[in-house]
Amino acid sequence: MKDVMGMIYTGGNDARLRELTTTRAVAALPVAGRYRVIDFLASSMVNAGIRNVGIITQKNYHSLMDHLGSGKEWNLHGKINGLHILPPFLTRENVGLYPGVLDAIRSNTNYLVRSKQETLVLSNSTIIYNAHLDEMVQFYRDTGADITLLYTKDPSMKRDEYGTYLNVDESGNVTDVEVEPTHPSCENTYMQVLVIRREFLIELVDKAVSHGLHDLDRDLIQRMVQEKQAKINAVEYKGLCWSIDSIQSFFKFNMDVLDPEKRRRIFRDELPVFTKVRDEMPAHYGDNAQVINSLVADGCQIEGTVENSVLFRGVKIAPNAHVKNCIIMQDGQVHEGGDIVNCILDKQAVIKRNSRLIGPDAYPIVIAKDVVV
Amino acid sequence: MLRKKTCIAMLLAGGQGSRLGILTKNVAKPAIPYGGKYRIIDFPLSNCTNSGIDTVGVLTQYQPLELNAYIGNGAPWDLDINDGGVYVLPPYQKAKSLEWYRGTANAIYQNMAFIEQYNPDYVLILSGDHIYKMDYNAMLNFHVRHGADATIAVREVPWEEASRFGIMNTDSEGRIVEFEEKPKNPKSNKASMGVYIFTWEKLRKYLTEDEADKKSSNDFGKNIIPNMLGDKQAMFAYDFVGYWKDVGTIESLWEANMDLLDEPMPIDMHDKKWRIFARNAGMPPHYIAKGATVCDTLITEGCEVYGHVNRSILFAGVVVEEGAKVEHSVVMPGTIIRRGAVVKRAIIAENAVISAGAVVGEDEGNIAVVGNGVTVPPGAKVPAGEQVDEAYAF
Repeated sequence: MKDVMGMIYTGGNDARLRELTTTRAVAALPVAGRYRVIDFLASSMVNAGIRNVGIITQKNYHSLMDHLGSGKEWNLHGKINGLHILPPFLTRENVGLYPGVLDAIRSNTNYLVRSKQETLVLSNSTIIYNAHLDEMVQFYRDTGADITLLYTKDPSMKRDEYGTYLNVDESGNVTDVEVEPTHPSCENTYMQVLVIRREFLIELVDKAVSHGLHDLDRDLIQRMVQEKQAKINAVEYKGLCWSIDSIQSFFKFNMDVLDPEKRRRIFRDELPVFTKVRDEMPAHYGDNAQVINSLVADGCQIEGTVENSVLFRGVKIAPNAHVKNCIIMQDGQVHEGGDIVNCILDKQAVIKRNSRLIGPDAYPIVIAKDVVV
Repeated sequence: MLRKKTCIAMLLAGGQGSRLGILTKNVAKPAIPYGGKYRIIDFPLSNCTNSGIDTVGVLTQYQPLELNAYIGNGAPWDLDINDGGVYVLPPYQKAKSLEWYRGTANAIYQNMAFIEQYNPDYVLILSGDHIYKMDYNAMLNFHVRHGADATIAVREVPWEEASRFGIMNTDSEGRIVEFEEKPKNPKSNKASMGVYIFTWEKLRKYLTEDEADKKSSNDFGKNIIPNMLGDKQAMFAYDFVGYWKDVGTIESLWEANMDLLDEPMPIDMHDKKWRIFARNAGMPPHYIAKGATVCDTLITEGCEVYGHVNRSILFAGVVVEEGAKVEHSVVMPGTIIRRGAVVKRAIIAENAVISAGAVVGEDEGNIAVVGNGVTVPPGAKVPAGEQVDEAYAF
């Protein structure tokens, strides 16, 4: 699809992800054995034919830059377009953190002005989806909308006092917007993905920020719907999506991917998910390995028992070690006799000989990066 | 004008590999899948990258399509650079003639213009037939240090097998005094690995002379090296120590795969400083279901295992359905082993289907082979040593 660019906002609310996001943005969070959250969003854009993607970074963006590199793996290393990482910089108005998405976009007005595409897809980075964004852009163009929003009817996406919800009439027009309601009254959760004309966005953002507004949903979309000054419509995303906004929801996404049916719906042949390649050899299973219902990435060396778990690249499970309902990120190790249940091991975490760590079902234990237990 | 290079590599990838039977019917030998996620050519290409050699010409002529597509722009090996990188060099039509590569030396001769662009001091000649990790830069240093005109990598083979190889007889300083092709009574057990470094000026001279000799078979082993030896050029043997495997036959390809399951692994594939790069299939991690058993096995991305896998190698996207059994086998990308099928001591090529209840291979005897895209019908039997292609009558 020609004449479309993409912009992904990273940052925002991640307090409930605790240790997992102390050194990284939610967008850079490792998921599903070999991916980062942003892979799904960036791949959706690339699969829609988008060749110019700007990524607005905020705090701790090092791991994100490291992961994305030149954008080669996403075919985003073109000469004319390609991947643009947009780190924050200090200006008179911006003294560090962006107060809101609007401020972040405004700080990158130059990038937007320099881009040539007519249409822009803006996506936040806390919801995992794999969507036909080209169909969404087509709907936006066919209906002549000023802004088209993406929503889901998935009830598990609803959160009390959190999120944005849309009332949509039968022709797709948005009639009402609820932002962070105590109990959302509509069934449509806004997925923080929108299509807009690039120049219209520049104009709107400039006007909003110069009036002291910061919040995209509340200050821009909601107001515009209320004041009926623009045609704002929405399309339903019928695929699977997950909001990664807490330890539990992070854990649930990884466990859901173990379900072959759900896995096939998020990893679709026609919508491949690209990621950084690490060139590990295939996973090796030893003589006494016992693995059931688990996802295992390349470079793993398994001698022990693994059940209902997700093992990232380069994980080592020693003989007589037991791993159940766990997520073990890149290069994690469980030594001989180690026994862990309901745990999330961040990168390079090590469970030493005969250590036991049994987390409750409802709240997995998180072992931070590089920690040795 | 390109910048001068100290050393560039020329990789001979034109061989048909006819002893690999139906596996090389539609692909050149260097493009044969190996080790769960690699192809044979990944080894020399990765060795080049890891040795700091950033310009590689790949000479192809037999079934080049798959190899060309696989190499692409060279990005998986970091060979997508502006001044150098990887180039696929098929035979091409000249003003007066159109000819195939007649021999290894002729293939290089026909691409002298490619080499001259880089004005290299040295040229490394490789083949795309072997599994090994080797620091070509150390060999280059050896070549320079000895002021050699040619350096030939050798490895020690068991004495009783020496008569199957091209053997280098050397003096105490490693200087080659004699080269014998498959000698009846070998005087040395140093076998040539088909890895050569030449000082380019010298090689150019010998290639040109060899081309003018109408009786020559234009081969490095048969012509260039004996001619240089005859002229008393400075030629040295460079000792290579480590895993090296020729995967020229079905049995040796199977063995080389099984070697990766030995503990300790005879070739260290986990070495972060010497990665073997490969084009990535871009699939999610593999899935082992409830009720599956997997031991002593290598499995890569995109596989789904519901059945039983023992001492085998599964490539990207292989599915082993419930109750199916895979033992002592190599299953290449995209193949499906249906419910209750049994695969034993076999190589199953890409995108094949082993239907429910079919049996491929036996506990003993030669390796059974199922070719690319072949469907083995339900309940069919493929005996040991049999090779099955689309035309096979079940």
